[in-house]
Amino acid sequence: MTLIALKGLAKRFGPIVALSEVDAAIDGKIIGLLGPNGAGKSTLLKCLLGLVPFEGTAEVLGIPAATRGADIRDRVGYMPEQEAFLAGMSAVELCTYAGELSGLPRTEAMQRAHASLYYAGLEEKRYQPIDGYSTGMKQRVKLAQALVHDPELLFLDEPTNGLDPRSREEMLELIVDLPVRRGCAIVLSTHLLPDVERVCDHAVIMHKGRVRFVGSIDELRGARGRLGELIVEVKAEPEKLSAALSAAGATCRQTTPVQLEVDLPASATNKLVFQAARDVGVQVRGIEVRRESLEAAFLRVIEAA
Amino acid sequence: MSQGAIHDLGYQRYTGARRDAGTRWRVIMRHQIAMAWKTWWRFKAWVGMAMLIAFIAGAVMYIMSNRMFHGMGRMGDAVLLIRDVALPQSIAWFCRAAFICSLTLNATIIAGDVQSGAFTFYFARSTRPRDYVIGKLAGLGVLMAILTLVGPLLLAGLRLGLCESLSDVIDHLVLLPKAALVGALATCAYAAVPLGFSALADSRRTALALWAAYYLVGGTIAIMIGGISHTGWIAALDLPSAVEGVAGKLFDVPVLGGRLTHVTLTQGIVSLAVQIVVAIAIVASSVGKAQKSGVGGAT
Repeated sequence: MTLIALKGLAKRFGPIVALSEVDAAIDGKIIGLLGPNGAGKSTLLKCLLGLVPFEGTAEVLGIPAATRGADIRDRVGYMPEQEAFLAGMSAVELCTYAGELSGLPRTEAMQRAHASLYYAGLEEKRYQPIDGYSTGMKQRVKLAQALVHDPELLFLDEPTNGLDPRSREEMLELIVDLPVRRGCAIVLSTHLLPDVERVCDHAVIMHKGRVRFVGSIDELRGARGRLGELIVEVKAEPEKLSAALSAAGATCRQTTPVQLEVDLPASATNKLVFQAARDVGVQVRGIEVRRESLEAAFLRVIEAA
Repeated sequence: MSQGAIHDLGYQRYTGARRDAGTRWRVIMRHQIAMAWKTWWRFKAWVGMAMLIAFIAGAVMYIMSNRMFHGMGRMGDAVLLIRDVALPQSIAWFCRAAFICSLTLNATIIAGDVQSGAFTFYFARSTRPRDYVIGKLAGLGVLMAILTLVGPLLLAGLRLGLCESLSDVIDHLVLLPKAALVGALATCAYAAVPLGFSALADSRRTALALWAAYYLVGGTIAIMIGGISHTGWIAALDLPSAVEGVAGKLFDVPVLGGRLTHVTLTQGIVSLAVQIVVAIAIVASSVGKAQKSGVGGAT
């Protein structure tokens, strides 16, 4: 079963086209939902949760969003970017209430509220009023309330926003752990490409209301790589190898004391590197196809649109 | 928290049944009541005030039932009258308690939820706008009933208990449904109308100011214009006048202060019904919009 299936999805707000003819089959464990402001990410989330009417079809976990939005929301957890708390409540009370609103019996909701908050790292602080929490603690509560009803899919909207480096690292650890320990898939909507690079295995890139890329991170970054663009790591003396390769018609650039970026001539393969290294007596320790950074790949997809 | 040190109490997937979506309003109602009961000044203090009003009115009824007063010639008629008007007269005081409570409780609910982002919390789940509206109204209804329905019913019960014969009891039995009707109308009005005002603004303070201005200033203007023009329909726009008008006509008692002079039973009931329906419509519309804009940020 495809996690999210979209066919001809379109949404207008008066004259403004928010989503246009979106076709995509989205799968993966941790999926990064990327796009500049106004790309249509929020509108797509609303459509997927069945909160706004739209044209076309959208299915989440095999459930049609247009007609059974409430069923989807029972099986999906949502961690919002902005604060979404109720005044005067402790974290335990809030998460218990969240569980009950998702259809869990009260006792079960309370047990799961404790477990979710403990998992999110709140421990004894879960009994304190949320109003006095730090940003990091609030982010943890938002994650716990999204987890309390045992969702199969989690939408996380900018989960590391406003966090210090340590808290950010802890939040990313939790995100990586969730599919492993709880078996739920994650859609991570964020502007922070390093976060995506760190945790996501798949990406969806949106721009101007359309999906511009759907696939694995490797596909995204490797889509432009070709066998003739290499990174070569040597034990020592890279300049010797560089000179030999240049003589054979390749273009070389030393990036570190033991690493070269090599562009081979059109007809050559990586055998040329090994041959040149043997000729000049340089030990090759690693060779891989050179790929773009995620940021470069993202910009390329956006600019191509 | 370092790698491998993620806390876990032993996760197990939930396989039990989930409650039907139609029961969500009960969860919201229970939460509303629990939150109101949590702090002293939000609700409990006004319950104390309503109890005090009921106690004073009950004490007046009890004292005036004493045979000593009956034996005092012409004054006996007056004290018997006081015994019978204590219940309807107390309605105005119960309404005052309900108004004060509305300032600390329901006049800021929706504006407060907008400010705190609570609609995202509610509508990212299977909660529907109608669950929210019904749950909030039901919760506030229960709370307001404690202030405006329980007191009159207790006093009506006390009045029956003070009857001197079975025929007297039968004659006064009608007090119970009358007290229930007036109390129920007041409950609905004081639960719904302030909630409607809380949906008119995005700020708690603004919502509170709007409700207070409508009730105090608008109500006073309506009474004045209604009094000058002898138009009950205008005077009935004042919420307490409408409730007291219904009470005055139902209990058939002379009215103090002249507030009820121009409001008939029909005018009172129609005015309350219209204000309640308009308030609920405003709440429903506001919450429906909030559902669409809350999740994923405004569109």
